Amino acid sequence: MRREKGFSLIEVLAALLILTLIITMSLAAFVERNKRLRQASEIILAYQALANEAEYRRRIDFAQLETSKPQFISDTKVLAPLEPFTTVVTVQKTKPAVKNVTMTVRWNGGTREAALSLMRVDTGGTNLW
Amino acid sequence: MVSPSSGLRPPSPRKRGEGQQGALVRCPSPRLRGEGGAKRRVRGRGYTLLEVVVSMAVFGMFLVILAMLTVEMRAQEKRLPVNFLRHPQVIVVVSKLRRDVQDAFGPAPYPESYGEYTQSPQTLIVQSHVKETGGVQTIVWDFRTPGEVKRRAYNVGVPTDWTSRGLPPDFSSFKIDAVGIPGRPYGVHITARDGKGRLAIDQILQPRAHE
Repeated sequence: MRREKGFSLIEVLAALLILTLIITMSLAAFVERNKRLRQASEIILAYQALANEAEYRRRIDFAQLETSKPQFISDTKVLAPLEPFTTVVTVQKTKPAVKNVTMTVRWNGGTREAALSLMRVDTGGTNLW
Repeated sequence: MVSPSSGLRPPSPRKRGEGQQGALVRCPSPRLRGEGGAKRRVRGRGYTLLEVVVSMAVFGMFLVILAMLTVEMRAQEKRLPVNFLRHPQVIVVVSKLRRDVQDAFGPAPYPESYGEYTQSPQTLIVQSHVKETGGVQTIVWDFRTPGEVKRRAYNVGVPTDWTSRGLPPDFSSFKIDAVGIPGRPYGVHITARDGKGRLAIDQILQPRAHE
């Protein structure tokens, strides 16, 4: 007598499990790729704000860097998609006439951040550039 | 006979041959029947309701997860004005423009007009320093055509064109303003918005000191 044809429940479930595993792995890779693309776009937005802030921090008198506002002075409208976000500016004296100005943007509950450091040197002039 | 443990349905009465017992039917074609008119056993077809329900439940759960992930992903994407990595031209345009402005040269780095061009929110004219020759070139950035940005550099009066096409179609035109930071030479403030009016580009570009 020939074998009855067709699939048993176990066979169907096992096939479904394998199919689900394959699709889930593909989906996970796809989601991760999209997440990274989004994060890269977020970083580009953040760096626009950081670069703008650097232009303002370049101009502040060397002696007044520490006492200047610890948040961004420049417009941060471009960061609207990252809301709520925070901006921080810290100044660190590394050498007698050198200060590091570090600007940081944090978003996504503080889990994501982008920072840009600007080295200011006391040239004794107007520090225009 | 179909065993109960196999889970296969017995054949429907319609499929049973007249006068036949159980699943035994006479093959309709003599050719298929073989010599001596051998009888063929027809398999029971289909799944039980329980099997179908379990399989559909598993697949349904998977579909729900897939839908939830897609919705979440779309919502996250919609927050951003432009996918910069999908449209790298946007960044390339800003990078090239930044370099030109940083190299802006002379007491009047932004002439009011040059040739057929006039300084406007959609046109930037900048006199730029040419590092290689030490000379000055006039560069015109033309943002007047939606989805396209043209850079025309006049070096000793000879124009060289660079055009960026394929900017996001919903990207509204770039806008250029002068920006004044106290005590600094005038800079360029470039902005661009997406189709929904969200700010995608907002850059302050300042000339740099030259040797």
